[in-house]
Amino acid sequence: MNKNVRIFFSKTGRAIYISHLDLYRVFQRAVKRCKLPVWETQGFNPHIYITFALPLALGTEGICESLDTKLTEDISFEEICERLNSALPRDIRVISASEPVYKNTDIEKSEYEVNITADNAKLKEFFAQEKIITEKKTKKGISEIDLKPMIEIAEHSDGFIRLRLPSGTETNINANLVFEAFEKQYGVEIDLIRIKRTAVYCKNGEIFR
Amino acid sequence: MYKEKLDKILLKIQKPSRYIGGELNSVQKNPDDVTMRFAFCFPDTYDIGMSHLGMKILYSLINEVPEYWCERVFMPLPDMEEKMRENDILLYGLESLEPIKNSDFIGFTLQYELSYTNVLSMLDLAGLPVYSKDRPDLTPIVCAGGPCVCNAEPIADFVDLCILGEGEEVNLELMRLLEKCKAEGCTKHEFLVRASQIEGIYVPSLYDISYNDDGTVKAITPLENAPATVRKRIIKDFDKVYYPENFVVPFSAIVHDRAVVEVLRGCIRGCRFCQAGYLYRPFREKSIDTIEKETISLCETTGYDEVSLSSLSTSDYSEIETLLGRLTDYTDKESINLALPSMRIDRFSDELLQKIKSVRKSGLTFAPEAGTQRLRDVINKNITEENVLESCRIAFEGGYTSVKLYFMLGLPTETMEDMDGIKDLCDKIIDLWYTIPNRPKGKGIQISVSLSTFIPKPFTPFEFEPQPTEEEIDKKQKYLLDIINSKKVNISWSRYPFTILEAVLARGDRRLCDVIYKAWKKGCKLDGWSEYYRYDLWKEAFKECGIDVAFYANRKREYDEVMPWSHMDVLVSRDFFIAENKKAHSEAVTPNCREKCAGCGVNRCIGGKCFE
Repeated sequence: MNKNVRIFFSKTGRAIYISHLDLYRVFQRAVKRCKLPVWETQGFNPHIYITFALPLALGTEGICESLDTKLTEDISFEEICERLNSALPRDIRVISASEPVYKNTDIEKSEYEVNITADNAKLKEFFAQEKIITEKKTKKGISEIDLKPMIEIAEHSDGFIRLRLPSGTETNINANLVFEAFEKQYGVEIDLIRIKRTAVYCKNGEIFR
Repeated sequence: MYKEKLDKILLKIQKPSRYIGGELNSVQKNPDDVTMRFAFCFPDTYDIGMSHLGMKILYSLINEVPEYWCERVFMPLPDMEEKMRENDILLYGLESLEPIKNSDFIGFTLQYELSYTNVLSMLDLAGLPVYSKDRPDLTPIVCAGGPCVCNAEPIADFVDLCILGEGEEVNLELMRLLEKCKAEGCTKHEFLVRASQIEGIYVPSLYDISYNDDGTVKAITPLENAPATVRKRIIKDFDKVYYPENFVVPFSAIVHDRAVVEVLRGCIRGCRFCQAGYLYRPFREKSIDTIEKETISLCETTGYDEVSLSSLSTSDYSEIETLLGRLTDYTDKESINLALPSMRIDRFSDELLQKIKSVRKSGLTFAPEAGTQRLRDVINKNITEENVLESCRIAFEGGYTSVKLYFMLGLPTETMEDMDGIKDLCDKIIDLWYTIPNRPKGKGIQISVSLSTFIPKPFTPFEFEPQPTEEEIDKKQKYLLDIINSKKVNISWSRYPFTILEAVLARGDRRLCDVIYKAWKKGCKLDGWSEYYRYDLWKEAFKECGIDVAFYANRKREYDEVMPWSHMDVLVSRDFFIAENKKAHSEAVTPNCREKCAGCGVNRCIGGKCFE
């Protein structure tokens, strides 16, 4: 039997410096440690099947990160969480496990909470512009994009911003990019910034489950 | 705690996860609950230091004591160092993220001489004066261990004390003494005098060194009742020695990213150039049960999918085939790779190869070290050409298509004929390849020849020998490149500026401390890294201190010369090294310890024979 499982986890504290590539290895070793019967890909170089829904930028916290995997035995969702938590580093915690509802391709955007020490008037002005042009590195090279239509500000007070940005297979905007654009435009360096991904939404407006 | 400050800089740094700790199995303790803190420093980068077995053992050993806390500290790369200095971040421990200058001990493991400037860099980054005499307080005590402290003289002015021998034996004893001295309100000097009475502890400041007019050491005089010779500490019951149940598992890939089980310590071989072969004597093995238990425990607590059996020469394990049989039962079932890094050519049997093959097919490495039988006899590398060819045959038949061969240039008595010998051996391996009927089709044979340069080390039969000059080494390298022109052979070689510095530091005396200081002040650090190594600055430092490099590197020592390390006793006797040196020059071999005791002297301290 193969049991499809979607696992939600948080990546906070010291774990925010684990790169996306290294994160795969962290989970691979955790699976091995807690002897979770994860299905192995067939082929010349078999490896355990784990696939992440969305990459999380280095330095960004996440409390709704997810990965999909397949188990070869029927183990309860509670037990999956318990076993993984016993085997993961402190700052990566499994929150829940369940059957996948939506497909990864259904993902449309992510919500971020940003704690920031910067001139708030300038930030307001920055977001109110008609166009926010910046450079984005893509596989093909560096291209110019307009961030303005992609940024949805949900909340903005002094030192705190809640915003939504496109995520998923088509367009993916890293929250850092927005604040780097701010720094570039005003020629300033933000003293302290903490970004946390707090929710992932599907095209139908539902939370990604 | 520096977490906030680090959050501001780490995203601007290459591979930030190595500077933040928090890895699986790293040990967190409440600072209020601990009485002794030990900052274990590896004077090289995280990627290298985290691969080092000794650090893993001692880290866990100290942390087993509930009220002691050991942290890991590594050398930051220049991008990180710059940001740390800009933001007033002192060198910190990866566990607490607090400055190490508040620790009780700052302990360096010295694995290679080219890391000495990193010790100075790290002390300076920690906010401490680099000279021992400029640190008057009782704590932190700066200490050093590892193979290089068998001659600690070039760093004698910087460290407060050295630990000679196996740290599992002595570290806790030393920590208990400091704990006591702290409670009694002792001065640093009082503590050091008391520490010098512990066997295996060397306090450089308690020895006065005088020199002859020709620059050699005249006398080494102990002060304040310090022992005339400092004796290496060893674990007697190696099977019962502490071994960690788990390892800290890094987030990023490091050099040796796997579980490691030490199967034996010491070496029976007695290759005359090899310092480790003498320093780690006597030869001691763990039992199969212990090795199996440690293998399973480590794999289960780390989640690693590779485990390596470590030692100076793993194939010399007395029951190697039984051991591999037992371990592969477990590793095969759990799909774990079993890696055997240190295999001797002459122990390379069909059966053994099958065992390795069942796990993974990677390259094969052999170390004949010298091109002719004559020179192999001189260095006591008891391997014949037949051994090499037979092992290659087995390997080729088993599907291997590449072989890596290690040779050393500049060995005592070496001539151009020995260079020809290297070429001949390569040719014979290539010829052999074409005689194998079932050799892998469509693939050619690839031989990688790696040429290092002989570096005479203390506590070897070659400690008396000169290192050849740059011209001599150059000539031999060029000659080899000239005569080996097969496309099937790749040659790589070590650069002389690295080897000369290592040669000077390895057999150096206390007068080199100021050279190291000067070189470091000029910007030398990370000397083991070709992209950072600045031999031009080192040369300036030598010149300014009036030190002649050739005196240390290229000079032959007499048998009766007082060596800068003459007050160290690694349990192998000077007389033995002299006898072995004479045998080398008469091209006579010494059988391995298992065949016949060579009388090196180590058995006097284990109360009997090394082998039953």
